[in-house]
Amino acid sequence: MNSVRRAVRLAFEAAGSSGAGTTSSAVVGPEPGTRVAPSSTPERRTVELRIRRQDAPDTAPYWQRFRVAAKPGDNIVSVLRALRLDPVTTDGERVDPVAFEHNCMEEVCGACAMLIDGSPRPSCSTLLAELGDVIRLEPLPKFPVVRDLMVDRARLFAGLQRVQAWVRLDGPWVTHERAPRISQRQWAADYRYSRCMSCGICLAACPQFPDSAGDGRGFIGPSALAQVRLLNAHPLGRYDKTARLHAIMAEGGLTDCGNAQNCVRVCPKEIPLTTAIGELGRQTTLQALKDLFGG
Amino acid sequence: MPSIANPHFVLRRLHSLLGVVPVGAFLAFHLWENSQSRLGAEHFNTEVVGALAGLNYLPFIEIFLIALPLAFHAVYGLAIIGGGRAEPLRYGYLRNRLYWLQRLSGLGLVAFILLHVGMTRIAGLMDPAIHADLFGHMRGALSSPWVFGLYLVGLWLAVLHFANGLATAAISWGLTTSADAQRRFGWVCAGVGLLLGAIGTHGLVGYLVAPSGAGA
Repeated sequence: MNSVRRAVRLAFEAAGSSGAGTTSSAVVGPEPGTRVAPSSTPERRTVELRIRRQDAPDTAPYWQRFRVAAKPGDNIVSVLRALRLDPVTTDGERVDPVAFEHNCMEEVCGACAMLIDGSPRPSCSTLLAELGDVIRLEPLPKFPVVRDLMVDRARLFAGLQRVQAWVRLDGPWVTHERAPRISQRQWAADYRYSRCMSCGICLAACPQFPDSAGDGRGFIGPSALAQVRLLNAHPLGRYDKTARLHAIMAEGGLTDCGNAQNCVRVCPKEIPLTTAIGELGRQTTLQALKDLFGG
Repeated sequence: MPSIANPHFVLRRLHSLLGVVPVGAFLAFHLWENSQSRLGAEHFNTEVVGALAGLNYLPFIEIFLIALPLAFHAVYGLAIIGGGRAEPLRYGYLRNRLYWLQRLSGLGLVAFILLHVGMTRIAGLMDPAIHADLFGHMRGALSSPWVFGLYLVGLWLAVLHFANGLATAAISWGLTTSADAQRRFGWVCAGVGLLLGAIGTHGLVGYLVAPSGAGA
């Protein structure tokens, strides 16, 4: 959402300044990694992409550099698509096209997350106007590389399975009732968690989320915990609240959070992940008392 | 019940609880008591060390309320510290830096506390003369700039570890949930840390500037 607003604002700024007829005086490019204001004219500029490549899951990674002509309004995905048409390195070598994932192009599918200049971000909503003329692209950490910038996100879904992040519609209860009522206040709070697009960015930034899946009992990470928060509040999801709380009270659950709170800072959907963790802290405290004393 | 039958949750929460009470509470008490070094050798050796030594069941208090909880907190902390990988440079957010400092200070404190307990409590048990004039013993030790520096670092590491641990324990237990509440309580904990650090520093300086008195 934020990025879309930003994109609109940048488009307006670019249009406004070109109307005034100013000429660009940007001769020297900015330092790599620095964010710069959009160029005062929508002139074409050339960016250098430094891409960490990997041919197969078990082969060694290597770096390649490419120079790509960028258009105004370009984002990382559009630049990578342009590169795919003519994948020639700065050394003049024609190489295999860079593999990457993208789908919705509007920051709702989560497929295109990667490390951009060292920060985990969705590449569709990362505009070139925010970046310098040298851009470093790496696959999202914590997930096994399939090829180049494409990673296998199965861990993320394994985490959702561990905490039963779903609502059971079929069960020994009446289903032909009217829809349950939710207050406007609760709806507004819950909605923020429902925006999770399973991009894995919070997990990439989490110091407690293990580098590899291992035995599958490591920390499940903030994204799955936020879904526990959401579904425990859901009128039907409430039925399985105890089971979910018990799941996050086991190994790799809520108590493995180290409160570094990187997750909430990097989440592109502005999901209050650390609020979910605090609220689940309270729910698990009460659940432990119920388990101990009954009730 | 899974949460009780599976020790994971109970151990983690016990680690968190013991860090606040009794370990954190003892830290506050300890710094308060030792800040009285400023009042001189006679006061310190009789009113502080002497009064504490006269407590009923002192060995039980020392073992079950201080040593064992502290040992559990330290050993369990060391056991789980390997599970994390801090990247304080890549993610320079305050909470992430504190995450890293919490683990770093924990490691430092294990070494410092072993040294500190050895230099004072254990040395006092071995040599009754040290126990009789703990003020003079500490004054002598702290006269060395190295020891004074070591104690100053150890003190502030302990205070940082406690204050930050208090703030994160509040999140872990669900006392503070909203970002605003977590931030507010974070500042309260920072205030508690600064106050305890000031009291402790006052105590360390007190050993050197206080009158030696008759006991020295």
